[in-house]
Parts: sequence; C-alpha cells; structure tokens
Amino acid sequence: MTSSDTVISTAGLTKHYGDVRAVDGLDLHVRRGEIYAFLGRNGAGKTTTIRMLLGLVRPTSGRVTVLGTDIVPGATAVFSRVGYLVEAAAAYPDLTVRENLDLQRRLMGAGREAVGEAMDLLGLSGSADRRAGQLSLGNKQRLSLARALLHRPALLLLDEPANGLDPAGIIEVRRLLRRLADESGVTVFMSSHILAEVAHLADRIGIVHEGRLLQEFDYDELRARTGAYLDIGVSEPDRAAGLLREQLGLDRIEPTPEGGLRVFVGPDRGPEIARALIGAGLDLTRLVPVQEDLESYFMRLTGGGS
Amino acid sequence: MLGQVIATEFLKLRRAKITWLTALGIAIGPLLGGLFMWILQEPGRAERLGLIGQKAQFLGQTADWPTYFALLAQMTGIVSVVLFSLVTAYVFGREYSDGTAKNMLVLPVTRAWFPVAKFLVVLVWCGLLTVVIITVGFLVGLALKLPGFSATLAAASVGEILLVAFLGYLLMPVVAWIAALGKGYLAPLGFALLTLLLGMGLGATGWGKWFPWSIVPLFAGIAGPRTETLAAGSLVVIALTCAAGVAATIWQFTYADNHQ
Repeated sequence: MTSSDTVISTAGLTKHYGDVRAVDGLDLHVRRGEIYAFLGRNGAGKTTTIRMLLGLVRPTSGRVTVLGTDIVPGATAVFSRVGYLVEAAAAYPDLTVRENLDLQRRLMGAGREAVGEAMDLLGLSGSADRRAGQLSLGNKQRLSLARALLHRPALLLLDEPANGLDPAGIIEVRRLLRRLADESGVTVFMSSHILAEVAHLADRIGIVHEGRLLQEFDYDELRARTGAYLDIGVSEPDRAAGLLREQLGLDRIEPTPEGGLRVFVGPDRGPEIARALIGAGLDLTRLVPVQEDLESYFMRLTGGGS
Repeated sequence: MLGQVIATEFLKLRRAKITWLTALGIAIGPLLGGLFMWILQEPGRAERLGLIGQKAQFLGQTADWPTYFALLAQMTGIVSVVLFSLVTAYVFGREYSDGTAKNMLVLPVTRAWFPVAKFLVVLVWCGLLTVVIITVGFLVGLALKLPGFSATLAAASVGEILLVAFLGYLLMPVVAWIAALGKGYLAPLGFALLTLLLGMGLGATGWGKWFPWSIVPLFAGIAGPRTETLAAGSLVVIALTCAAGVAATIWQFTYADNHQ
C-alpha cells in the first residue's frame, strides 16, 4: 500500500484523561475508497478517535494524518475534503433545514446547487423550510448526514450514522454509503457498536476495545472466524485442553469465563471429544454444540459474555 | 472567508428569539426611568394611584432632562452588565448548548475567525440595544414634556451613554471566554451576576477604580458617587481585561479539546 492510497493513518495514537486511557496506542490505516467500520462497545474509544481525526481533541501522544495532512491545530484546509458527523446530530434549531445547509455550504465554499442536491439525496426536500428544532430525531440525523455530504467530500467520518434512523432509513443510508464508495471513490470511516449493522456494508472492520485495536478483518475473514464450536464443561479444563490438542490435534481451544472450554470444531466431533475426556478420567458435565453469530463473536472479543 | 463567517453569525442572530426579547427587555429601562420622572412631576398623583414615590423622592431630584439623562446612563451601566452578558453568553454559549460547536470547529476556516465574528456580532447587537435605550429615552422624555432640554446637554448625555455601553462591551470577552470554557450559557450568566454584585460592592470602596467590573458602574453613577472622568489607570485596567478575554477566547476556540 503506497502512502497515496492511505486516506487515514494514525501511529501510536493515544489519549489519556488522567488515569483513564480512552485511546491507547492506536495504529490505523484506512485505504482510499474503502468503507472501514470502527466497531466497539460504548466507551471503547470510538468517538474520541473520531474527534482526534477531526482535530477536535488533541492526542496525548501519537500522530494523525488525514488525506496526507497532519492534523494539528491550524490545519484547517484539509476539512474542505472531509464530511463528518460526530456523535449526536446537531443543527441550529432556529434555522430551517435549507438555512442550516446553506450556512454550511458557505463555510465549505461549495456552490449554491449543493444545498438542493444534499436535500434530495437524504430525502429532506419536503422539510426544506421547517426549522431544525422541529425535526424528528431521524430527520435531524438526515440533516446531519446531508451536511456531511453537501460539499462532495473525499472522506466521510461518521460516528454512529444510523442513530435515530428507522430500519428503512438505515438501509437507505447503507446503500447511499456503498454507492458513494463504489461510484465516487469516497472513503468512509464509520463507527458503530452494532456488528450486524456494518458487517455487510464494510470492506474492513476494526474492533476497538478499551482504546486498543483488537482485530481487523474483512467480511470473509469474519465469517471464517465465527462459526460452530462446542461449549464444554469439564473438570480440570487446562488438562482437558492439553489432552484435546495432543490426542485429537485440535488447536482452536479457548477457556470460557465460566471455567469451561470452547472448542472450535463442528458438532460431528462431539462423540470423539467426549470419549477422549471420559477415557482420561475427567468429569464431563456439559457438551453443547453452538453456532456462533456475529454479535456473539463481537461480544466474546470485547469481553461481553459468550 | 472572514466575511462568510460574519454573514453566517448574523444569520444565526437574526433568527434567534432572544434577539428580539432583549430589544423588548432593554426598553423597560428608559420606560422605568420615565415612570420615575412622571412620579417626580407630581408625587401626589402617584400616591393616589397607589404607586410608592419613595424611590423617586429619594433621588432628591426634579423631573427634568438632566436628571432623566443621568438615570439613563445609570441604567445603561446595569444593562451593560446584565443584558450584554446575556447576549454574549448566548452568542458564544449556544454553540455548545445546541451541540453545533463540534461542527463549527471542523471547517476549512481559521478557527479564530469564529470568536472574532462573534465579538463583532455582539458589538453590533449591544450597539443596537444602546440605540433602543437612547431612542425610547428621547420618546419618553418628549412625551412627559420634561423641561431643561438643550442640544448640548443631549449630545453630551448621548455620548456618555454610548461610552458607558462601550466600556460595558469591553468587559464581554471575559464572559465569552467563560461561555467557551463552561460550554454553555449558565456559567457566563452566573459569572455576570457575580461580577455585577462584586462591582457594585467594590465600587463603594477605594478599590473600585482598579476593579474592571466596578469601573463601569462608578462611571455610570450606580456604585457610589459618580466619577465624572475615567482615570487613566481605570482605562488601562479595562483595556487589559478586554485583551485578556479576547486572547483567552481565541485560545479556547483554537486549541481546547471539544468533547461536547
């Protein structure tokens, strides 16, 4: 990957608030034209990372480069090519939808036609002359997305873009983002706390937990990582794990928080495993085949239970 | 780009309800002054109507233009602390209360232009509010047919009211900084009330001419005997307070973390 292909790059990005490590040594590389989903539970460091990418929060240490520009105080020119939505949708409540967008257009240096186009794109034309303070939560979110897209940015940084949208709105926005990436080469960096929401959309997914990047993968890799396993309750789980590795050649074995084992094999291997454990004199209390879904995989990675 | 920032700030101001509410609110000052004049004109009439004429009597003045102009200057002194602070708290604090600061600070615009444009908007707004005081004051004075009017007196009094208002405005950058620091309206409004009380209290002591928030009430004649001319030292104190407030606000917009 050449540097010109990298749209977002962070090196050792860290933000501490006293003893709290909101973001801890984050190394990210987002490629041009890809949709990168930044996934984590609440408080994982997603919003702080996005704020640092936008220069709203200064890192304690580390470096941020966006579209080839180091993000430091005073580096504002780069934001003419960045669209963004940070946390809750916000607009000037006394101004109409059109006025809010026109205000943004002027400051972004976009043409007058951009306001109408953005409203059409997000289905806001019917609400053009309504005050933003009177909009529903979903339409406020649409207004924020329209503001982000108004100046045809090369990079979109979206913090929980589906917030407040109804299911149809979520699908609509998902399609819009896919289209922007595929047809216009727009790079999308979006955060979410719902894996299923981004799994089908994102080209790559990064899982962040307690400020650190745990894993990065694409959808196919994700499918390969999730799947069937056996949930085993057994006496002496350490000895049992060693036994299964040696005798049966099983390598994907994890301890569970309940003191059992998670063995990543299909249910057809169950009888063989049971025989091996009982034959070794261990007490087998549970052997349950489980088909893991995306959510449980995410929860398992981030310590949220099995 | 500064021009566009200023234009957008004026758009936000024009649409805000508070703009028109403060214009109405400020008219109460000269109307109240007119009521005192009306009571002074014939105290017996006020008593018959159930109005207590003690405050008017306490002034120990007669109902004429010099007294009324002095009253208007005093009211401007109070208004400049209370309503100007409300205006400043709104213009700067609303970006945090409405959640729009995070959008404003990620634009291809030098961040310092936003506080600069906001200071300009506050100046224009406060200037218009002062014009309302003067205009309503003239109309009320004419309606009451107050004696003792002269063009020289009117010019000097208007100049004085404008100067009191301008001195009050010069203290607003500190309020703006508190709004940016406190990320909303409440902190600057609390600060304004505190400084109003402190200013009045210290104004009655020898320290008044060195405390920025006493200098304006002293000059307006609210806190203790009226100071006819401003001491050079007091002017320096106000100028330094203004400069520190502007620098701190610009720093806050440019460098401070935004978690809102």
